[in-house]
Amino acid sequence: MAWTWFHRLASPPHVYRLAGRLTPWLAWPAAVLIVAGLIGGLVLAPPDYQQGDGYRILYVHAPSAWMSLMVYTTMAVAAAIGLIWRMKVAHAVAASCAPIGASFTFAALVTGSLWGAPMWGTYWQWDPRLTSELILLFLYLGYMGLRSAFDDVQRADRVSAVLAIVGVVNVPIIHYSVIWWNSLHQAPSVMRLGKPTMPLPMLVPLLMMLLGFTLFFGALLLVRLRGEVLSRERAASWISEAVRP
Amino acid sequence: MSAFLDMGGYAAYVWPAYAVTLTVVVLNIVWAQRLLKRSRKEALHRLAIGGTQK
Repeated sequence: MAWTWFHRLASPPHVYRLAGRLTPWLAWPAAVLIVAGLIGGLVLAPPDYQQGDGYRILYVHAPSAWMSLMVYTTMAVAAAIGLIWRMKVAHAVAASCAPIGASFTFAALVTGSLWGAPMWGTYWQWDPRLTSELILLFLYLGYMGLRSAFDDVQRADRVSAVLAIVGVVNVPIIHYSVIWWNSLHQAPSVMRLGKPTMPLPMLVPLLMMLLGFTLFFGALLLVRLRGEVLSRERAASWISEAVRP
Repeated sequence: MSAFLDMGGYAAYVWPAYAVTLTVVVLNIVWAQRLLKRSRKEALHRLAIGGTQK
């Protein structure tokens, strides 16, 4: 009984239908949270006492950076499940994550660079946080490149899963880089033990953006997952049912 | 309004950061929908040429 949900999650037709039904329930709350977070972050939150209005880059930089790590972790866990239990749907989840994660890692690097320029006086430093985040981008791109090198989806799934799993060591390195090493980058002010070090009018829009981006990732993942599941499927019976207009 | 657009002198950094993020968000929506559409088309094609199993 306890395992039936697991088996249902491994069933492609069930996942295809469920993902389709769930998408709007994630997409609309994501849109509302992101719009509210933007208004809060750009208009309602007070300027920072040191950085003035320049700190408002936070409201796009932190959610992008959060996505870069959260999506990678999801990808590595899904790849491991796919490898261990030979679960096609889990591999499809991992494959769906990569382009999303890569693009938000790119956004985190660019917005961070645009924040660093006025505050640190440089767009780029070979600093532990910045360097490990750049390595994360290369991990995503390597994963996608490796997948595209195989014609056979199932071989691509297995080989790329190993890369995804090995690369996950970089995730804690990125997170703790600002604590372990002397970095230009500031220490976490929300994702830390104890209370966030930010006044509420600044914190609330940030939390809205973080949650909004997370739900947005969920919606994107579901749409991509349907495509990935369908492309792995050879059983005529449910394809005709699923794709019939 | 112009004070808002000026972002306390940081406009040249703040707005490009928001523009890049917005572009990434929009591209992700387009890419995801395109992937699903293509997979559907290919699945229909497989059905048509009989490249599937019962």
